[in-house]
Amino acid sequence: MIRKKTWFPVVYMFCLTAFFSTIIIGFTQATGEKVEANEQLAFEKAVLKALPGLYKENLSRLELHQKFIESVSPPDDSSGNAYTLQKNGQIVAYALPISGQGFWAPIKAVIGIKADKKTITGIAIYQQNETPGLGAEIAKDSFTKQFRNKVISTDGSPINIKRPGAALEQSDVHAVTGATQTSNRLENIINTEIKNWLSKISG
Amino acid sequence: MKKGQSQKTAIATDGLWKNNPVFQQVLGICSTLAVTNLVLNTVVMCFALIFTLSLSSCTVSVLRKFTPRNIRMMVETLIIAFYVIIVDVVLRAYWPEMSSNLGPYVGLIITNCIIMGRCEAYGNSNPPAKAFWDGFFNALGYTLILLIIATFREILGMGTFLGLSVPYFSGPNWDKWIIMVMPPGAFFMLAIVTWIFRSIQTAGEDKAK
Repeated sequence: MIRKKTWFPVVYMFCLTAFFSTIIIGFTQATGEKVEANEQLAFEKAVLKALPGLYKENLSRLELHQKFIESVSPPDDSSGNAYTLQKNGQIVAYALPISGQGFWAPIKAVIGIKADKKTITGIAIYQQNETPGLGAEIAKDSFTKQFRNKVISTDGSPINIKRPGAALEQSDVHAVTGATQTSNRLENIINTEIKNWLSKISG
Repeated sequence: MKKGQSQKTAIATDGLWKNNPVFQQVLGICSTLAVTNLVLNTVVMCFALIFTLSLSSCTVSVLRKFTPRNIRMMVETLIIAFYVIIVDVVLRAYWPEMSSNLGPYVGLIITNCIIMGRCEAYGNSNPPAKAFWDGFFNALGYTLILLIIATFREILGMGTFLGLSVPYFSGPNWDKWIIMVMPPGAFFMLAIVTWIFRSIQTAGEDKAK
């Protein structure tokens, strides 16, 4: 009987895996565009949130996308890798995409910085996979709104994330309670990326 | 026909009540604790589980005559993973917000002990239709308990139900129990629910004697 043959389990497993994988690959291909569009939209939403005065609650997906197209200019030579918000040809604010390794998975975010390259207009985190309820709080408004109007420090690290309850200066924010690792890594990402960007656009 | 009916009722009462996977067998606890802080997340998670459990149990059953005994666990995991990935892809494409809310937990359905347990204990030795219903009702039993836990956690912890404010609980007179939405709240709720349901169950059994 064929089932008694020693090679049967190997061939069986191989065929089964091939069969199921084929379906999955086909399925992923079919929805791939949609997933990509979703990721792009999440990024656009983050840019709008980080820049001043653009984001409104309850915008539909289409409105969001249109708003992004209308008001945000893509990066050019003078802005480094930052998107810009312009008014009458003048840059009002930059939206700098940043990314780096979080505690569990990569964190991706957008920082909004005023034309003076010193004042932060906001930060929006659009991709993270930190611990729900602890590290994941970095994506919530309660954490991100702290960054508004903070000043990028020119000596030392640009932004400090201090332990909850610590006294804050103009470039400090409070970390998330119980999520020291995530906070440290986020601080690291923000500072590295801001420093890189500043040296790129001034040099 | 009559016999088929009573068999189906037996499968249903087994999955929903007598052998409920959560409070009786204490399986699938990881996701019970993880996704029950918001009712909406729970509902989606439960749908994903109903889909995966009934279909994978059924598939395992279809293949049971061909699958060599020594590699059956591998085959089961493959089948379960197949259905879970489909759920994951669909969520990512059509409901990205929910996909990011549930985070890694959709993928973790693969390791949900209820599914492997039902495939091993039932799908492997019963015909496809019965295996399907067994999976379906077990997942429904899981859903039942999770919804109870999630309802209490969301109302007590956040004053909302499905994101809508609940009168009194969202008002100023109710001091929100933050602990309910945090992980420890899930442990308390699960213990209380298990306690209550098991007490009812044993009381019923004593009466039957």
